[in-house]
Amino acid sequence: MAADLTAELEQLHAAAFGWALSCCGWDRTAAEDVLQASYLKLLDGRARFEGRSSFRTFVLGVIARTAREARRRSALRRWLPLASLVLGPEAADGRPDPATALARADDTTRLVRALERLSARQRQVLHLVFYEDLTIAEAAAVAGISVGTARTHYERGKAALRKLLEKERA
Amino acid sequence: MIERDDHQLRNGFEALRREDAAGTPPFGATVAGARARQATVPRHRALRLAAAAVAVVAVVVLSIWRERDGVRLQIDLATVRWRAPTDFLLKLPGDELLRSVPQLGSRGLDRRTL
Repeated sequence: MAADLTAELEQLHAAAFGWALSCCGWDRTAAEDVLQASYLKLLDGRARFEGRSSFRTFVLGVIARTAREARRRSALRRWLPLASLVLGPEAADGRPDPATALARADDTTRLVRALERLSARQRQVLHLVFYEDLTIAEAAAVAGISVGTARTHYERGKAALRKLLEKERA
Repeated sequence: MIERDDHQLRNGFEALRREDAAGTPPFGATVAGARARQATVPRHRALRLAAAAVAVVAVVVLSIWRERDGVRLQIDLATVRWRAPTDFLLKLPGDELLRSVPQLGSRGLDRRTL
């Protein structure tokens, strides 16, 4: 059972890391931290797959929730200096990793820069549809929003992203 | 037009996916990191419990200390009783007779005097 789960996770690993990067604003250290925490939840049974969606959707949902928790903890650390005594050291500062940014091609750098300027929901939905090849309904399940809301974010996000990319090219 | 634009976006994301895939950490290393994290989780939990216990004890000690040393506000109700200026109108003649218990043999209620 655990071996099956590990094998399934391994198949999804690259997609899961890409999604973790997007959830963490392309901060590689934070993404690795979130991915490890998500795998831990899956492996020790705190997040259990009950077959209500596809396994891929479920795993991406767990990563999204874990990234949200990490952001909340990070905000708590900023507001309460003593919280770091209980929560432990912060994994990363939430900024894109300079080494990763340098290794990117110009087109993808422009795309990442434009994506960063979108709202979090628009960025999530576009990433899930275009990068992870999910349907809008699946993207809605991962992001924890209704299909109608996801569709709105998808359409508005696409329009905004096109404008931003045109501006970047000009 | 829209389809072509979608195609362009899809190509952009496809390139991004290829670049991310090249930099993806090995699966084994991520799982090993997760397992290592598993070993530190009970320590975190114990720390959190200890912090919560310290906070509860601090609140209890503070409340006891304040109870013992703090000045309690005494309120004398007699000083705050308010009388309306028109209260005298409610006074009836012979009102005191109604408030006292009559006693046999006393002058006021002696049968011989009634």
